[in-house]
Amino acid sequence: MPLEQLNAKSFEEIIYDNEEPCLVIFSRKDCHVCKNVVPVLEELQPQYQDRVGFYYVDVEEDKNLFQRFSLKGVPQILFFKGGEYQAKLAGAVDEDKVIDKIAEVLES
Amino acid sequence: MGELTHDLIIIGGGPAGLTAAIYGGRAKLRTLVINKGTVGGLVNTTREIVNYPGYGQISGPDLMKDFKKHADSFGVEFLGDEVVSVNFSKEDKIISTKKRKEYTAKAVIIACGSEPRLLNIPGEKRLQGSGVAYCATCDAEFFEGEDVVVVGSGDQAIEEGMFITKFARKVTVIVLHDEGVLDCNKVSAERAFQNEKMEFVWNSTIEEVLGEANVEGVKIKNLKTGRPSELACQGVFFFVGMIPSTYFLKESGIEMDKRGYIPVNDLMETNLEGVYGVGDNRVKYLRQVVSAAGDGATAAVAAERYIEELNAFRTSVMKSDKKVLLLFFNALNNESMEFSTLIEEVNQELSELYKVVKIDTATKKSLAQKYDVKIVPSVVVLDRGQEIKRLDYSMDKEKLKAQLR
Repeated sequence: MPLEQLNAKSFEEIIYDNEEPCLVIFSRKDCHVCKNVVPVLEELQPQYQDRVGFYYVDVEEDKNLFQRFSLKGVPQILFFKGGEYQAKLAGAVDEDKVIDKIAEVLES
Repeated sequence: MGELTHDLIIIGGGPAGLTAAIYGGRAKLRTLVINKGTVGGLVNTTREIVNYPGYGQISGPDLMKDFKKHADSFGVEFLGDEVVSVNFSKEDKIISTKKRKEYTAKAVIIACGSEPRLLNIPGEKRLQGSGVAYCATCDAEFFEGEDVVVVGSGDQAIEEGMFITKFARKVTVIVLHDEGVLDCNKVSAERAFQNEKMEFVWNSTIEEVLGEANVEGVKIKNLKTGRPSELACQGVFFFVGMIPSTYFLKESGIEMDKRGYIPVNDLMETNLEGVYGVGDNRVKYLRQVVSAAGDGATAAVAAERYIEELNAFRTSVMKSDKKVLLLFFNALNNESMEFSTLIEEVNQELSELYKVVKIDTATKKSLAQKYDVKIVPSVVVLDRGQEIKRLDYSMDKEKLKAQLR
């Protein structure tokens, strides 16, 4: 299942107002590393249904979002809980790293 | 011997693997390509390819889409998964993947390619995504108006470095060699020297990436004077060469050199029968799309012939109505050649009671292994594929005949 894409407005609502634990991948279309990481998240998503939100931000379409987190590259997965930024993973990460990080964020 | 899932399995979907797939599919082999991530491999990181025959200029991803489409048209199967271990000890090759699936085939082509080498210096890993980068197409834009350092001087380093100048204020290239010497092609070198935004630091390497939350600079060491210095920057791009992605083969018995590259012969054969190594992961002179494609074609044809021989052996030996004498010989061993002639003679005199199948142990190592044959000449007697006895070596015709009656 494709990840739900966020824009500046829906980002505010979902990440900050709803306060649900979630992760957001910052990606772009012509980034080959992103193309490898996005499917990893798509496959993991069903396992975390109703527990962790999985979202997608296209940095070309929503420049101000990556500027806000002063990101210096894609792909990066940002983790949020209780409306607060918790952690991030950069570059070519595999399933295990994402699973570990989610566990870490949920426990904290 | 159970049913195999495939005839030919190709590990890796770059240009070498895809070309092998095209040849395999066309030869009507049940061919499977197992590929981690996007099909196309490292070629996907190349914005512009200008030396693939027939294509004046094309982007890496577009060229790979054409390769993939071509393979699809011959009925090749594709699987998005990662191979984590292999078992090549038997004639049937077994491949296990990360998603816990097992696949089996008569022949395997290893085309898993290579990946960027890390320098493993302090700060490199910690600041990845916070200023440390490996892909200009992906990340150059994040450094609009900033100072960037590029480490390396090969084609990729210089060409990507020039791409970054479209965004960055200044790009400083750290080069190992003496002033004026770059590892890249001449055209790119000239362009780089003329680019006003490109600067060079010669005879140097970097020792540390500096910065708390984001990259703030690099520590440079001059290799001639040993003197360290610091250079402020917001980004560091590493292009310091590649390493073969062959770590999953460590326990497989495949010969590799100390860096992990697989040595092969003209037919792309590794030291294991039915296993081939192609493209960037093998020991070779030129690592380009066109040479990778050539490797893939060679290996697929070699694999096809190998499978044909295997099948022929299975029908002629395993399903033979007559009893079979499997005669293991070595052309360099005279004794075994003479013995071979004698066996034929004896069989004639017994009015061809047996079918004699000769096996050269120099080229058919796996058969020798399968029947646990360590010396030549050796003769294994088979009845409907089952071993019923072994002959005692003798050059005495009557003694030999007695054993065969």
